[in-house]
Amino acid sequence: MELLGEDKVLWRPQDLLLYEYDGAVDTSLPDAVVLPSETADVAKLARFCSQHQVPLVPRGAGTGLSGGAIPVFGGIVVSFARMSRILEIDVADMRAVVQPGLINLHLSTAAAPYGLYFVPDPSSQKACTLGGNVAENSGGPHTLAYGVTTNHVTGLEVVLSDGSVVRLGGKALEHEGYDLVGLFVGSEGTLGIVTEITVKLTPLPEDRRTILAAFPTMDQASETVSAIIAAGIVPAAIELMDALATEAVEAAVHAGYPLDADGILLVEVDGVRDGLDEQRERIEEICRAQGATTLRVATSTLDRERLWAGRKGAFAAMGRLAPDYYVQDGVIPRTRLPAILRHVREVGERYGVRIANVFHAGDGNLHPLILFDGSAGPAVLEEVKQAGFEIVAACVEAGGSLTGEHGIGMEKNCYMPLQFTAEDLATMRRIKAAWDPLGLMNPGKVFPTPGRCKEYDLRAAAPRGSARASRTGAPTPGARAEKKDRNA
Amino acid sequence: MTAVVRPSDVAACAAALGDAARDRRTVRISGAATKAYLGQLRATDMTLETAGMAGIVDHVPADLTVTVAAGTRLADLQRALGERGQFLPLDPPHGDAATIGGIVASGSEGFGRLRYGGVRDNLIGTVVALADGTIAHPGGRVVKNVAGYDLNKLLIGSLGTLGVIAEATFKVLPLPSARGLAVVRCSGPAAAFAVADALVRAPLRASALAVEGTARGWITYVEAQGARAQVERAMQEASRAAAAAGATAERTDDESALAPARELPGTAADGALVRVALPIGAQRSFAESASRLDPFVRLVADAGSGIVRVHLRGDDAAVLRAADTLLAGASVVGGSARVERRAPSLRERLGAWGGPRPGGDFLMRRIKDAFDPAGVLEPGRSVVG
Repeated sequence: MELLGEDKVLWRPQDLLLYEYDGAVDTSLPDAVVLPSETADVAKLARFCSQHQVPLVPRGAGTGLSGGAIPVFGGIVVSFARMSRILEIDVADMRAVVQPGLINLHLSTAAAPYGLYFVPDPSSQKACTLGGNVAENSGGPHTLAYGVTTNHVTGLEVVLSDGSVVRLGGKALEHEGYDLVGLFVGSEGTLGIVTEITVKLTPLPEDRRTILAAFPTMDQASETVSAIIAAGIVPAAIELMDALATEAVEAAVHAGYPLDADGILLVEVDGVRDGLDEQRERIEEICRAQGATTLRVATSTLDRERLWAGRKGAFAAMGRLAPDYYVQDGVIPRTRLPAILRHVREVGERYGVRIANVFHAGDGNLHPLILFDGSAGPAVLEEVKQAGFEIVAACVEAGGSLTGEHGIGMEKNCYMPLQFTAEDLATMRRIKAAWDPLGLMNPGKVFPTPGRCKEYDLRAAAPRGSARASRTGAPTPGARAEKKDRNA
Repeated sequence: MTAVVRPSDVAACAAALGDAARDRRTVRISGAATKAYLGQLRATDMTLETAGMAGIVDHVPADLTVTVAAGTRLADLQRALGERGQFLPLDPPHGDAATIGGIVASGSEGFGRLRYGGVRDNLIGTVVALADGTIAHPGGRVVKNVAGYDLNKLLIGSLGTLGVIAEATFKVLPLPSARGLAVVRCSGPAAAFAVADALVRAPLRASALAVEGTARGWITYVEAQGARAQVERAMQEASRAAAAAGATAERTDDESALAPARELPGTAADGALVRVALPIGAQRSFAESASRLDPFVRLVADAGSGIVRVHLRGDDAAVLRAADTLLAGASVVGGSARVERRAPSLRERLGAWGGPRPGGDFLMRRIKDAFDPAGVLEPGRSVVG
């Protein structure tokens, strides 16, 4: 407290309670919370923490879905609520320089008068912060055509664990040497704490067409996704929602989604006005050929916003169906969508839980929302997590990934050996050691932690032989888990 | 004589590196050797050629992904993808001979990055042989993946200093149904960059916005790809931007019209070729100053991305002075710079990395030491050392 002044530190138990959780399901209390107002505060704090071996956990808005902002091993949570300014909108260079606590949507709002916007638009964009987006390499519905956070960040200021401040990249598109900006984005606060971010701004599309297509079955809806791509169209967004998700969204947002469909696609094309209607017609034709029962095109900006409000409000709307939900974030090659969605349904039936699906179908990025009632006791949460694990394990088995945009965090760090060999993880640990030799930056995230991860029997749950493992002759995931990680 | 190894798969490649590191024998890594001019070259004990690792490993058109062995030539890959109506949206120089591994390792980019992104935006996974003889699998084969650290980013442009890329997976796209190219002849650099600047701010998503300047004149190239209507609109906007700059846009059907500008690194074998990355708003003034330098021969800018190359030719002292001026010019606006290519007579006096030291260079050094503690991979070649 003497280090930074009383007004920047929270330590009373009642104040700390607000910082024990984020958007995920795990909790852990910090020892203190620090609210820096400038980079120098963060640097001072980091130096102090390295001298006293105290973990540091950065926090934006706490909307993360993998427990990234949870202080697993206690320590100090660094909240960026007071470092939330836009430092510069550089119209000539099409860049913005911002502080990490800035809310995602505020940047696009500020740049709009100049015909520019910040592309990544996570569904939580009204609340989530740019610092969090950088840490998690966040995506959103419009990443299919325009990329995720890492494709839009060109510069960072980072405080390292020893308190030194380093500037990486800048406004230019490239810098010499290794791409440390690209490495840092998505490192989940485990390499350092970002204190300033330089991002690309993109010209606003001149116009858009937003199409809603309703299908009698999820199979038809998911096969339509591949049919659109196969026709040579890469829309700005293709989102999919099942009947359960639609029911919740309609009750909460009244977006006007049809309630008698099993699968609803939201497809958007954008760019110059020329040619957009031809693209829309082709998409409508494909949807009809695949058996769409309802086709609706947004007729006004308000109408479009209503359609998107339904999609972006879907997670929040789950409260209509159950007290709690646990969302998974696996990725599969998009051609495997119909099969994986059947698997999700089968897992739900086996565990006796309801699962709603609302996700980025164009990217093959699933978001099954497993509904439950946490007040029924911790055993229920464990069951739900096990169901979620079966789903992501199947995603990896299908040649996919544990996470498309929510991060590994403390949620899936124990599952990492499913997707990566011991050698892969050892390589990542070399990076960690180069940046944070003391291991004080957001410990307990990304990497399997020996103590916590024992309880997961990966061999029992792991599917047999992932696609990659069988192709490259690497050991199967089960065998990988048995191999002792050299650096563990 | 330098020993040559040509592994046929990643396991052999990793074994060769492991042996080299154990014996402290230094290694040059070579694909088609099209960019052997890049960086600070030192003689090595052996050369590892990737040509033995070639061919498409997996292509799933409906997933819009392709996995390819690193020694595969880009041209061969494009031909195979084209037969399925797709393409890899990379158009680097030396595109007819360059290999995938070399393109990734050198971060070699073309004008298309304005629309499609560059190597870092399209590469989603690699298989890499490391100096300790192990094999790593950064990324994966799906288009969206945030599991663990993105080590692919480190490999791009690393010039072989961290490991040997044996396999790479990319996002691919459907071939555009139409394309159009407009050539705008301008009165000077100010007008040429004004045309480009007007178009980079429009939501056109041009597939090339290139400026080329010589003593004979200044040209802005505007290329669009996509649906017919989008291409036509881009061409209209090019005419409008040209008119506003007092110039005229001419359509051309000659698809090779952009090639000389793209291939400048391949042809600028004499004098020095300075390559800078600038904030885009700084390009115009930079180009005006560059064109007034005595040894100035030619400038090519990827104007949408802020990448400017200047070819200098003349007596050595004048070329050295001019190169220094350009390197310093990039530095003061927060850009980066390198001497991409220089004549043998200049090698001793004009280093490749005379531009600003990159931020976080001590972290790069630590990463290099962690991956290659014996320092056998392409020693000294990159800015990291």
